[in-house]
Amino acid sequence: MDLTLIQGGRKTGLSKWFLRVPALLYVTLMILVPLIVIVEDGFRAGLSGLIHQISVPIAQHAILLTLWTAALMTLINAIMGLATAYVLVRYEFPGKQLLNAIVDLPLSIPTLVTGVMLVMLYGPQSALGAFLSEKIGLDIIFAPPGIVVALLFISFPFVVRTIQPVLMNLDLTQEEAAATLGAKPWYTFRKVVLPTLLPPLLSGSLLSFSRAVGEFGAVVIVAGNIPLKTQTAAVYVLGAVESENRLGASAVSLLLLTIAILVLMTANGIQKAWENRHEN
Amino acid sequence: MKTNIRGWGGWLLLALVVVYVGFLIAAPIGSLVNGAFTSGLSEAWQSLTSEPFLQSVWLSIRIAVVVVLVQAIFGSLTAWVLTRQDFFGKALINGLLDIPFALSPVVVGYMLLLLFGRNGILGPLMESLNIQVAFAVPGMFLATLFVSLPFMVREMTPVIQQLDFSQESAAATLGASKWRIFWQVIFPQLKTALIYGMTLTFARALGEFGAVLVIGGGVQGRTETATLYIFRSLDERQYTDAYVAAIVLGCFSVMLVLLADALKRKRSQD
Amino acid sequence: MKSKIRILVLLALIAATLAACSPATEQPSGDQVSLILAAYTTPREAYGEIIPLFQTYWLEKTGQDVTFEESYLGSGAQSRAVVEGFEADVVALSLEADVNRIQQAGLITHDWKTVENQGVVTTSIVSLAVREVNPKGISDWADLTQPGLEILTPNPNTSGGAMWNVLAIYGTALRGEIEGVPGDDPDAAFTFLTQVLQNVSVMDKAARDSILNFEMGIGDLAITYENEILVGQQSGQTYERVIPSSTILIQNPVALVDASVEKHGTREVAEAFVEFLFTSEAQEIFAQHGLRVVNQEIAAQTESEYPPVGDLFTVEYFGGWDVIMDEIFGENGIYNLAIATAQGDAH
Repeated sequence: MDLTLIQGGRKTGLSKWFLRVPALLYVTLMILVPLIVIVEDGFRAGLSGLIHQISVPIAQHAILLTLWTAALMTLINAIMGLATAYVLVRYEFPGKQLLNAIVDLPLSIPTLVTGVMLVMLYGPQSALGAFLSEKIGLDIIFAPPGIVVALLFISFPFVVRTIQPVLMNLDLTQEEAAATLGAKPWYTFRKVVLPTLLPPLLSGSLLSFSRAVGEFGAVVIVAGNIPLKTQTAAVYVLGAVESENRLGASAVSLLLLTIAILVLMTANGIQKAWENRHEN
Repeated sequence: MKTNIRGWGGWLLLALVVVYVGFLIAAPIGSLVNGAFTSGLSEAWQSLTSEPFLQSVWLSIRIAVVVVLVQAIFGSLTAWVLTRQDFFGKALINGLLDIPFALSPVVVGYMLLLLFGRNGILGPLMESLNIQVAFAVPGMFLATLFVSLPFMVREMTPVIQQLDFSQESAAATLGASKWRIFWQVIFPQLKTALIYGMTLTFARALGEFGAVLVIGGGVQGRTETATLYIFRSLDERQYTDAYVAAIVLGCFSVMLVLLADALKRKRSQD
Repeated sequence: MKSKIRILVLLALIAATLAACSPATEQPSGDQVSLILAAYTTPREAYGEIIPLFQTYWLEKTGQDVTFEESYLGSGAQSRAVVEGFEADVVALSLEADVNRIQQAGLITHDWKTVENQGVVTTSIVSLAVREVNPKGISDWADLTQPGLEILTPNPNTSGGAMWNVLAIYGTALRGEIEGVPGDDPDAAFTFLTQVLQNVSVMDKAARDSILNFEMGIGDLAITYENEILVGQQSGQTYERVIPSSTILIQNPVALVDASVEKHGTREVAEAFVEFLFTSEAQEIFAQHGLRVVNQEIAAQTESEYPPVGDLFTVEYFGGWDVIMDEIFGENGIYNLAIATAQGDAH
């Protein structure tokens, strides 16, 4: 890519910095500085202090709860997201446009509103909630299932939208060939389609996982926030901030930050590897 | 009924998806709409026109507009620099940009508190400059800016990547100034992505909750956005107020994104 | 080309105007002044009515128009927010220790206890909210250790109300007012506290959040301020109030924050507001919203609504807030030990 073209072929040394400096300053000041601040604060009591803070029973439970609800959600989302993407790309049916539009809704709805909606629908005061609680003994609101449902709601678009473009560009000839050879649709799917979809499926799932780990707005309304029972890491941080437990807040924040970065890096790595493979 | 589904397997899959989406997404939205009107239309109207609600909406909009403008300029700039230039540390910057997306909003608010709180690093400095950041609108603005950062950059990047060089080089050979090249050759190609990015950013800014709660404090009449207003109404047992506000906020955000989607589709048809 | 520049300039102007339109930059002028009130969650309805009264009173008296900005959070959380930089002019909190914290941060420099009645503007008692017709038959503290009972109480880390609750439970036990628990026996009292905590199913961040959970159908009873129960009943809730035979008197302080009023130039109106809270007008409103008032006249008038308690004690029983914050709510204090034991056994 010949960068000199845009500059009109004239001497360009300074002008590219004219653009670059504000951009770098922007990103550095906005993102890097707060991150550094929290890293520094998290290590104020040293590494051992940090580990102690995240090992406190309440914090530990909050972290584990966050991780397993996010993981469970990711698993369900991967499957249903894949199914939804498949249905939207390959099938024609009445109401397809509507379904496609609905998929995007969670992206635009404020997370707080999501929480409010879920409490309305599944809360102990609702018909559905009371029914589930009394007849099946399933408590959704103010219990871990509510957390999973809230996470499923907000993360729904990620897997679908990551898979859709890949699926759309998929060459149908391979599948048709397999079909003419007598392969059953499920077999064709498993052997021909799925391997190609695996990278976007993985990166979309990882994206939804990292998003879910930090979720606050929906969870704080829905979960009940009982320490050692239904309090997630983000809500724990809020409690720590409000009760001036700075070490605790910074330590858990740092942990959440690290998880987010690691998962994102993995997702990006998968995306890059897949892109590289396809450029050849 | 136009359909290409063959065999019961396909129908089963479709049914599964529809039921899932119905329960997960459509049902909650439906119950919200239902809940807002259980107390009657006039009560809903009263909530809609109440001063605290309107004030909170105004604050949300103000913050969102400024955030969008800043992101439009700096986000696009960042996308440009990242796509068109090569420099040391580029991968790091790229990585940093994804963080606001995954980082918990509470942590964002807390980071700003660490920076700008009374005992924060920049706290005394702000105090001497008589600028209030923590527990005031500027802090909430910064928080919203942080969480919405990736949207603009990620929207603009693919479009910048696909810019047509031949036009630019042609204009350059004809002696057009850089400025002119930008406005008349480059900008038109970016316009749609820019508007789409701005819309997404706006919707995201309106919906911000956790970060502005921590850094703003939710003071009625001062630092209460629409989301914080909903949160407070729930606390005050003003359920109609909360649900009506939630619907307004939800609907508005949804319409915004649908509009942006329509724009995107129009662009791909051009 | 020119039109694009014009658009950019216009956009920049809009941005600048909006950014500048922040209320934080408002300075009080001659006839307009703004007061920031930071309170705990429970009295929000009361202040909602008192504030307009004060606004009328102040306008008549001085011709000044005073607007209020209110914030309601758990008492501890509110106190810490003020210390962190929330520039409240007046704080009305649940317990003295939360005001002391602000004082220790150097933000309150006058002796706020000399204002009137030692700075205590309202009182209440720790009582129990139970479901309509009291299906579990709760009549006193001893019933709280019933197996399988689900109790709601907020988290003492953020909520002042929660602290009062713990003090009530522990104090009553220590005083020998609980059936089956020997008095003056710290170990027995500790055990009782732990047993009650074991039955706690939800611990939200503030008193209001806790009672709202109860209204949502969670739990069998909520330990809370009496006034929280009464306000809820006033808004149509059907739960019942159970007044224990022995409980602690909750004393709510109010104080002016010197640092803020100096900065905002609002000392005069803030002082007037604090004074106003002790007038019979304001006290009557407090009484209407479930609070036991300090004004003797109004207290006598409302006695039927607020029956006296058999054995009523105060923080003095423990030796004051300093002792309490250290021995009971300190890092190795009785509460933390008890909750750790309770949650440990629950798994």
